[in-house]
Amino acid sequence: MESTIVKAVDYNAYFGDNHVVKNVNISIPKNHVIAVMGPSGCGKTTFLRGINRMHELIPNATASGKILLNNEDVMQMHPIFVRLKIGMVFQRPNPFPNLSIYDNVIAGYKLNGIKLPKTEKDKIVEESLTKVALWKEVKDSLMKKGTFLSGGQQQRLCIARAVAMQPEVLLFDEPTSALDPISTSTVEELFHELKKNYTLIIVTHNMQQAARVSDRTAFFYMGELVEYDDTKKMFTNPKDNRTQNYITGRFS
Amino acid sequence: MTQIETELQLLKKEVINMWDLVRSQLLKAKSSMLNFDKDLAREVVLKERRVNGAELKIDRDCENIFALLTPVAVDLRFVLAVLKINSNLERIGDIAEGIAKYMLDVDAPFKKELLEQTFVTKMFDESINILEDTLHAFESEDTILARSVFKKDEFLDDINIRANELIEEYLNKNPADLNQALYILSVIRKLERVGDQSKNISEEIIFYLEAKVLKHKHSH
Amino acid sequence: MGANVKYRIGKSRAFQGLVIVLAFSCIIPLFAILFFIIKAGITKINWHFLISIPKPVGETGGGIANALLGTCIIIVVAAIIAIPVGIMCGIYLSENKKSKLAYWSRLCVDILQGVPSIVMGIVAYFWLVKPLGGFSALSGSVALAIMMLPIVIRSTEETLKLLPDSLKEAAFALGMPFHRVILKVIVPCGISGILSGVILSVARVAGETAPLLFTAFGNPYLSANVLKPMHSLPLLIFNYATSPYNDWHDLAWGASLILLVFVLLLNISTKLITKRWKVQL
Repeated sequence: MESTIVKAVDYNAYFGDNHVVKNVNISIPKNHVIAVMGPSGCGKTTFLRGINRMHELIPNATASGKILLNNEDVMQMHPIFVRLKIGMVFQRPNPFPNLSIYDNVIAGYKLNGIKLPKTEKDKIVEESLTKVALWKEVKDSLMKKGTFLSGGQQQRLCIARAVAMQPEVLLFDEPTSALDPISTSTVEELFHELKKNYTLIIVTHNMQQAARVSDRTAFFYMGELVEYDDTKKMFTNPKDNRTQNYITGRFS
Repeated sequence: MTQIETELQLLKKEVINMWDLVRSQLLKAKSSMLNFDKDLAREVVLKERRVNGAELKIDRDCENIFALLTPVAVDLRFVLAVLKINSNLERIGDIAEGIAKYMLDVDAPFKKELLEQTFVTKMFDESINILEDTLHAFESEDTILARSVFKKDEFLDDINIRANELIEEYLNKNPADLNQALYILSVIRKLERVGDQSKNISEEIIFYLEAKVLKHKHSH
Repeated sequence: MGANVKYRIGKSRAFQGLVIVLAFSCIIPLFAILFFIIKAGITKINWHFLISIPKPVGETGGGIANALLGTCIIIVVAAIIAIPVGIMCGIYLSENKKSKLAYWSRLCVDILQGVPSIVMGIVAYFWLVKPLGGFSALSGSVALAIMMLPIVIRSTEETLKLLPDSLKEAAFALGMPFHRVILKVIVPCGISGILSGVILSVARVAGETAPLLFTAFGNPYLSANVLKPMHSLPLLIFNYATSPYNDWHDLAWGASLILLVFVLLLNISTKLITKRWKVQL
């Protein structure tokens, strides 16, 4: 039986009085790709940001319940440790504009003031960029600014930056919605590689993407987790009518 | 390689495996007919379950590919073709099983003259041959080979049409072999179906490779 | 129809012409000022002018070394006081857009910007000069620092507000604590805007005379002691230009030119910094 790495127990999230994530219970197995889909405003992104406690950065945002990472409640841990173990990649590529490609990859160490010997840094940079299939493209221009890269390359750079911290879980918040189709498929290919070493949770608006890349899919609607199952099952024989209506585009 | 490419490769491999399985079923059916080998016939009947299993598996894989990977263009035609080829192969499997069941019922080896004069052995060889041609055409994406199947099928049709006449001729000389001759006639009828199924498979291969619909068009 | 359209086209052309002429006319004052000051001041400036102190009344020659040094010291001290406070305040305002405190401090900053410089001088006089028992350069620096604050604060705030939130999120997602996010990511990315704000504020106060009248007061001798009275360029210009001696008028022209060039250089460097250090987002 596969081991569970992230588990939400009765997780609720609020913005002020607005109850956006309602009593979510979910177990996420290790080394899998989990897609989280649902219509806009269904709470899927809020849930994702709850996992590494980015949710509470927003003024007025509160949460209750438990998020367990390896059976340890992240709500009881310091957010900084949580975020070192659970990396995140955002909708728009956001490399640090003042840093070179090289420094962007080790930004997590450099900007946190962790000193590493040069050889160690070189190793991390090469490994991380190789993992995101960017090494060949940028190895001759590591000292250029990250923002000189194309959108798809920037996004892969951001993934490399998250990977460099050797997290256990990677969260993706609509990682390809700002990318062109070619870059999108490059990033999607990456997910298959990355799941060998990490657990990936991907929020996506794009159902086809959820179908293509994930092992399991969670469907959120109005803040509730409506259905969570094998992706194959979700897309061929969903149990809940709302899921069926959503994936067939019959939502009204 | 993209994910859909990987998945389609796997699907192709599965179909080829099924093809091999069906072919070996036919070969064994033939062998059991020639050698009066009931054990072999029994084996064919048992293995039919595996053919059915393979069919279900391929069906499910096609379903998943449609649902998860939304194939388009040549990929779409490939999966559509595989779906149909799959059911054609399964029927050929059924035919092999049917023949094997006859062999279980038969109580004595077939007479040499009967097998020769009705061309049933030849027909068996030819239908296996056709099935192999379609397999190679599918494997190597060869539409010329796929088209050659239509011509070869004519031979099977030919024997099938003459079957009544041939059997009658034989029975006139050997009226005691009535029971055996009827079995052979049934086998001929079944083998003719193998040709038809192979022809359908060829059409699907051409549809997938050239996007041409040949169904209901050619006349022979 | 032809005539009517032609009339309208003519009107449109005339308006365009008027806009161009008026736009051009506003650069005339600048060039006029430059022309007169350079014409009057350039002949006075030489090495001796820069390194010697003023001569007593009646003697010819003399220079502005005391005022130059004084201006530099007063401004540097003012900047040391104003920049950290201003940048921190700007960071607070951009981080807490909605809080009550931010609302009130933003309002105060706006009002502070509108306070006349002479009032600053008086305030500094009553708060610092009197309690400390005498005129001092430090009190002048404090007055100038208060004048610099609003510019530094607003430019910092505006610059940081322009930085996308995603940058901050990226930093937080890497497990960075708040102070590092601000100091290592947000401030470096907005450095061009912050720096240009700082330089602009220096340029703004470099020529201030009024607050210094009551505070630094002026000193005919070379002095580097911030607790004692100190001379500065605007004070020197004010004193000498209103004096009855031609020789001193010449010194005032020369000093004006120096001050003008200084301010111009600051303004130009602001432009260069925004261009060169602008981070590509």
